[in-house]
Amino acid sequence: MMAWLEATALATWTRESPSIWAYPTILTLHTVGLGIVVGANAVIDFRLLGFAPRISVPSLSPLFRLILWAFVLNAATGLLLFMSEATTKSKQPIFYIKLTFIALALWNTDLVRRGMLKDGPIGAPLNSSRYRRLAIVSLVLWSAAITAGRLMAYL
Amino acid sequence: MDAFVEWLRATPLSQAIVFRIWVWPLCETIHFIGLALIIGIAGFFDLRLMGFFKQVPIDDARELMPLAVIGFLLNLTTGVTFFIGHPEQYAHNPAWWWKIGFLLLAGINAFVFQFVVGKRTVGLRAGVDAPIAAKTIGAVSLISWFAVLYFGRMLPFLGGAF
Repeated sequence: MMAWLEATALATWTRESPSIWAYPTILTLHTVGLGIVVGANAVIDFRLLGFAPRISVPSLSPLFRLILWAFVLNAATGLLLFMSEATTKSKQPIFYIKLTFIALALWNTDLVRRGMLKDGPIGAPLNSSRYRRLAIVSLVLWSAAITAGRLMAYL
Repeated sequence: MDAFVEWLRATPLSQAIVFRIWVWPLCETIHFIGLALIIGIAGFFDLRLMGFFKQVPIDDARELMPLAVIGFLLNLTTGVTFFIGHPEQYAHNPAWWWKIGFLLLAGINAFVFQFVVGKRTVGLRAGVDAPIAAKTIGAVSLISWFAVLYFGRMLPFLGGAF
């Protein structure tokens, strides 16, 4: 299965094309997406932790759409990067650890999003300890996902 | 430049960075987290200047900026560590010089905002557009930081590093 994936035309192009638009651009777009996903989450998280308290939390909700699109970019580029070295990457435990952190972080981000939809207009509940907890968990999980991703080059 | 690179590589600090195997991955990880802070926090402020998120008063968006400065300091520290560890990989690398160029542009741009244009955005309420000069500053900043990211990530491909 992994050998087949790695041998597909798309995987071969990603891995072997000398074009700057193949592996280098796909990898760079993956880092751009990382910056947007984690960075936009950080804006929300730090606001929920009490930074810039005069920003109304619901006014940040367009950031969730930005996070979604950047995540789609990273799922697509991530799939290409995985396919290009499927046989080795599928054997790396740190890869599965990274996917787990991303799944948990996404779930957590969605809890914040749905909570903001429900409680947002009222404002007051957004300063509750529940949102502070979600914000800290978000910062920890996204940082852990970055760490695991970076370690894929070493472990 | 070559003499400087040779001298730097021979320093005990450079040797320590290269020969302790955990230093490089640790610095890379911190560099990526710092990157996300800069793109997210500074990018949010840039977008507000440009006319997005208009419900957020500009002064309030600006209150988050110290977090972007923290991200920048993390990346300056880890970036200098990379350079000390392997100066020969960067000193002759065109991608690295482009990166430094866009860092300088982002810095000059931020300086102009801080000391000249920023005064004109103080007190602008929610829903109010920033003046065109401030919009331009926002766009230049956003483009510069993504260019810094681009040339940093492309160091191995445009300049053949590592």
